[in-house]
Amino acid sequence: MLTRRGFIGTLGAAALAACGPPAPRRGAATLVFKHGKLFGDPGVLRALIDEFERAHPGVAVREETLPASSDEQHQFYAINLQAGSDAFDVLAVDIIWVAGFARAGWLRDLGALERKAFFDGPMEAVTWRDAAYAAPWFIDAGLLYYRKDLLEKYGLAPPEYWNDLVRNARAVMAREPGLHGFVWQGKQYEGLVCNALEYLHSNGGAVLAGGRVVLDSPQNREALALMADLVHRYRVTPGSVTTATEEPSRHVFGQGRAAFLRNWPYAWRLLQNPSSRVHGKVGVAELPHFPGGRSSATLGGWQLAVNAASRHQEIASSFVNFLTGEKAQKRLAIAYGFQPARVALYADAELLAAQPFLGRLERVFAAARPRPVTPQYVRVSQVLQSDFSAAISGLKTPRAALAHAQARIEEILDAG
Amino acid sequence: MQAERERPWRYLAPAAFLLAIVTAYPLAHVAWLSLERRSLLDPGPPRFTGLDNYLRLAADERFWNALGNTLYFVGASVALELVLGLAFALAVQRPFRGRAALYGVILLPWAVPTAVSARMWEWMYEAEIGVLNYLLGTQVNWLGSPAWALNAAILMDVWKSTPFVALLLVAALQGIPRELYHAAAIDGASRWTVLRRITLPLLAPVILVALIFRTIDAFRVFDSIYVLTGGGPANSTETLSIYAYKVLFQSLEFGYGSALAVSVFVLVALTAGVYVFLLRKIVQ
Repeated sequence: MLTRRGFIGTLGAAALAACGPPAPRRGAATLVFKHGKLFGDPGVLRALIDEFERAHPGVAVREETLPASSDEQHQFYAINLQAGSDAFDVLAVDIIWVAGFARAGWLRDLGALERKAFFDGPMEAVTWRDAAYAAPWFIDAGLLYYRKDLLEKYGLAPPEYWNDLVRNARAVMAREPGLHGFVWQGKQYEGLVCNALEYLHSNGGAVLAGGRVVLDSPQNREALALMADLVHRYRVTPGSVTTATEEPSRHVFGQGRAAFLRNWPYAWRLLQNPSSRVHGKVGVAELPHFPGGRSSATLGGWQLAVNAASRHQEIASSFVNFLTGEKAQKRLAIAYGFQPARVALYADAELLAAQPFLGRLERVFAAARPRPVTPQYVRVSQVLQSDFSAAISGLKTPRAALAHAQARIEEILDAG
Repeated sequence: MQAERERPWRYLAPAAFLLAIVTAYPLAHVAWLSLERRSLLDPGPPRFTGLDNYLRLAADERFWNALGNTLYFVGASVALELVLGLAFALAVQRPFRGRAALYGVILLPWAVPTAVSARMWEWMYEAEIGVLNYLLGTQVNWLGSPAWALNAAILMDVWKSTPFVALLLVAALQGIPRELYHAAAIDGASRWTVLRRITLPLLAPVILVALIFRTIDAFRVFDSIYVLTGGGPANSTETLSIYAYKVLFQSLEFGYGSALAVSVFVLVALTAGVYVFLLRKIVQ
């Protein structure tokens, strides 16, 4: 799954050492912080944690890393939280898990969270029945990458509407034989849902509204039809998109074989690498939208939450506030290249000097939309994955796919 | 006397105990779970719901789709593996230089871990830069089109598992007494008659054993398809094991997922039962 990408990496010796049992101190609280593996020098996070320990005498924090696989992390948390385990106090959670964990009563209500300081999208995703159960840590959202050089060469502007994208892609393809127009992630997996929702949301559509399923709507039909048309009618997207995940699509674009790419922010650094064939030729824009709608990137990212069974609720909450605070998010953003979830940091001169690319992302994140916020998200997603896949592989009409998914999701929500 | 009669039980006890712990108990537990409404993410304790999960299964189109995919996969892959394996075994029946080396080479696909070879095939199947389309001069979207994807997975399974069948049959062929062939030659039997009247009947028990192994494995197929397609496009490669995995380990519905797992078990057990029955008849 895409949202774990930022956490994939090798575990350094320092982090391993940090996993060892600490020397127990009498009357002292030891917080256990569970998170996925970090890519980069684990020392930066550890240094922040040391700082927290110094500010809270008697408190020790132990990091424990989980496997990189998102499914495995989800299982680990669910099995342990369901059993009421207090073996960990603070946990890093994927944005799509919060509603399920919150409804199950596994997370502490973080009542005092300064909601306004974070982007709206992540706040919506961590809120369950009007209370916030996790603090946004890092944020991710879909972007449109384009070949600056090719658009300039043919006098084209970055597209505002999906129709513009089709027209521009066709114009470039007509004059550059062998080039694909637009590549994205169309394999049947979580990434396909992220891609498809960007079309639906940017046409004013939705999956759920006020607890009801509103999938089978004219807006969604038009949006999904465009997605299928990219492949079958306009042929700006190759048929092989039905096997594409993030990396294969980035490779196609990175080898100079496509004019447009939909991907997450992580791709920027790789495309801008001096050894990349498209180095210096890549532009970034918000994803297009439909007339009357607005650009709506799908949101990913990680949040920090407190285990409701933790014996150190207060201090664990302080730790979450500390790590999701401005100073910590800034230091982590500089060290690991993650995108902070706090709005104010996008005006921070020092951070922007270190990570100039962040400056272009604020607008995208401000408009980014979460996937449907429901405790049944994983089951809902499995339905969407298969029906969206059927629509773009031409097996079902968009109308039939949406009607089918609508009925299946209603069943799930009624039963759940 | 009494002590002698007790002896077999004492020797069997450790094995029986071990089997009970590692096989019978988990199986019974899964069967029990399948009668409950139990999901990790559901608030509240699990409820006993009798056969509800099985009724849901019967009305679940995704289950029937997965069952259809599984049966197609089993039928096609096992049949191809048997025919190709038999053909190979017959072809290398007579000794020739390099036969031992050939055995080694032929075993390679079987020796590579499935997840690794699946990754390899994923690259070969790649629609644009994959070697398969390059060699065939085609532009087939092997893993991305509903018409091809399951067949592509079958082809990989045949590549991987034919050596297993072939080697079993090679060994069995060498066990057939030469005298029978000499006698047939003296009687002037044609090669076809020899194959039909001598080779195949004497191979039958081993063919059945190979079929049991391959059918059971094919029913449970998971890792190769999970790597190749993840069940897509549009669930066209979703087998029962893939569906059960998604229900058990992604949506964490232990009750319903257990019902799916039990259904796989029942199907495999029935198939194995039929084979064992046939095997007994043949041996008798």
